[in-house]
Amino acid sequence: MSTTTFIRNEDLKGLVADLKAAGVGVAGPARTTDGAVDYRSIDRFEDVVLDAQPRTSLKQFFLPPTEPLFKYRREGSDVAILEMPAVQPPRVIVGARPCDAAAVEILDRVMNWDYKDEPWFARREATTIVAFACPGGDRSCFCTTVGLAPDSTRGSDLLLAPAGDGYVVEVVTPKGQKLLDAFPKRFGAGPGVDATKAYRDKARASVDGHVPGSPEVIRQWVQTHFEDPFWSEIALRCHGCGGCAAVCPTCHCFDIVDEPETLTEGTRRRNWDTCQTALFTVHASGHNPRHDQCGRCRQRVNHKFAIYPSRFNEVLCTGCGRCARVCPAGQDVTEILTRIVAMATGQGGAA
Amino acid sequence: MNVYQPFRMRIEERIDETVDTRTLRLKFLDEDVAQKFDFKAGQFGEYSVFGAGECTFCIASSPTRKGYIECSFKTIGKVTSAMKDLEVGDVMGFRGPYGNAFPLDKMQGGNVVFIAGGIGLAPVRCVIWNVLDERNKYKDVTIVYGARSVGDLVYKRELEDWGKRPDVKLWTTVDPGGETPDWKGQVGFVPSIVEKAAPAAANSHAIVCGPPVMIKYTLPVLKKLGFTDDRIYTTLENRMKCGIGKCGRCNIGPVYVCKDGPVFTAAEMARLPNEF
Repeated sequence: MSTTTFIRNEDLKGLVADLKAAGVGVAGPARTTDGAVDYRSIDRFEDVVLDAQPRTSLKQFFLPPTEPLFKYRREGSDVAILEMPAVQPPRVIVGARPCDAAAVEILDRVMNWDYKDEPWFARREATTIVAFACPGGDRSCFCTTVGLAPDSTRGSDLLLAPAGDGYVVEVVTPKGQKLLDAFPKRFGAGPGVDATKAYRDKARASVDGHVPGSPEVIRQWVQTHFEDPFWSEIALRCHGCGGCAAVCPTCHCFDIVDEPETLTEGTRRRNWDTCQTALFTVHASGHNPRHDQCGRCRQRVNHKFAIYPSRFNEVLCTGCGRCARVCPAGQDVTEILTRIVAMATGQGGAA
Repeated sequence: MNVYQPFRMRIEERIDETVDTRTLRLKFLDEDVAQKFDFKAGQFGEYSVFGAGECTFCIASSPTRKGYIECSFKTIGKVTSAMKDLEVGDVMGFRGPYGNAFPLDKMQGGNVVFIAGGIGLAPVRCVIWNVLDERNKYKDVTIVYGARSVGDLVYKRELEDWGKRPDVKLWTTVDPGGETPDWKGQVGFVPSIVEKAAPAAANSHAIVCGPPVMIKYTLPVLKKLGFTDDRIYTTLENRMKCGIGKCGRCNIGPVYVCKDGPVFTAAEMARLPNEF
């Protein structure tokens, strides 16, 4: 689909009001009480913050940090299982970053790998993603290295880019078209995609070249260097806190635990987890196949740039740079990848 | 019902194997599910105690025995401790079957050698009964089973049965010092017993499962006897949560144990990085 239309700033405000009035949940990047920007529920478009990358990604809307899988109630020796709703309430995310929207589509692959993860897809089906072309990134951004761009349409249902007194709207999916059709008065004639070119070019220039090389070069090096002093070197910096995985739009590892609420009732939940902690792989016997931080740092890079690409033909990274920004020890993914590219092309090695 | 929701199963029988190991026989509560349920030797499942959580084990019974499944576990962690406290008649959860299986179709018409150590006999036992229940499809069947001590041998009643069968060559052994005065089996480590048992390699497949150290020293013996890497199978256990390729926990390098395994040939194992 390549239909375009236009929405004026006033109509964007009106659209969010219309959605709210229709009982649709709306979320977008907005200030928290401590002044940071996160994706969260919003009441009005005026609260949307477009000039700062949200701290957290869209992952939380599809794979919540903690999520009930079912409830159980023991009745004598028997157990009753109470299922969770199979359908989720409708939601529109307004102001998604293209890198975050792409992540959701990349994750569809693993979530539908032979077994369909119904909780994930129930939320996918109920959610419409309205992305806004990114105004540009900082030194940690490298989306163009992993095949995306500040104005990628991947994973978005609509992509908006600013022009004149509003936004040019690219209709990406039938779901996006459905949103247009539901509120036809909010959309109308206006400038075409050409009018957004300068904006897009400027954004692209701000992220280009931060990591030279291609995902293919990185994949080949990682696949052939499972044992390499480089991994021990980068692991020295890592505290194993897992902050990188929490803010990552594509890290999707989870734990499944039972949380008793009374002696007879409780909930089986899945919670975000991370391969950066020792507990992640430790066996009940005490044996831990991934016994040091070196293996854990390698696993994160390996999963994103070698394992996932070879399984699903997708890089499990959108170049959003959050892991570099959040790391308390200054572990910088752009530095890791740049050095891998240098080693792969014979221009460097472990220090 | 989502993929993470288990079937409910009632404990039909508890068999104590050793001081800390028990076998549970489980039956599906839902007759419909029981009718439809099918699995292959070597597959695993997620067993759960409601309130304690889930745990990954192979299905220790044979797919030829319909109407129930069995699991054998050592009480070592949170879930297995809770499983130990369950009584006959109590309901627990099961998701599965997951993963690949031992390729029995390739082994038919030839000899099969089973080599197991300790609780490693559980996944092997599933295949042993599968083979013995279709005995005419196979030639010689050899079982070499060892444990640290006589008290650590699991499935003792079945060992007795197999020992009496004229169509099975059974070798049981305990580590030196683990024997009792009335022990009639071998004394020595599994690899040396395999050398003594010397099953013919021609037209044979070997299934090996046990502690890593046992596997490490058994593989060279099998090689010396003439077994090739693609005719030696083992089953791996890694910590898992989902069992269906999503939770990201069981990777060994590029391999997902839950999806690509748990059954691997020695040739496949040799290509894996040392992270298991």
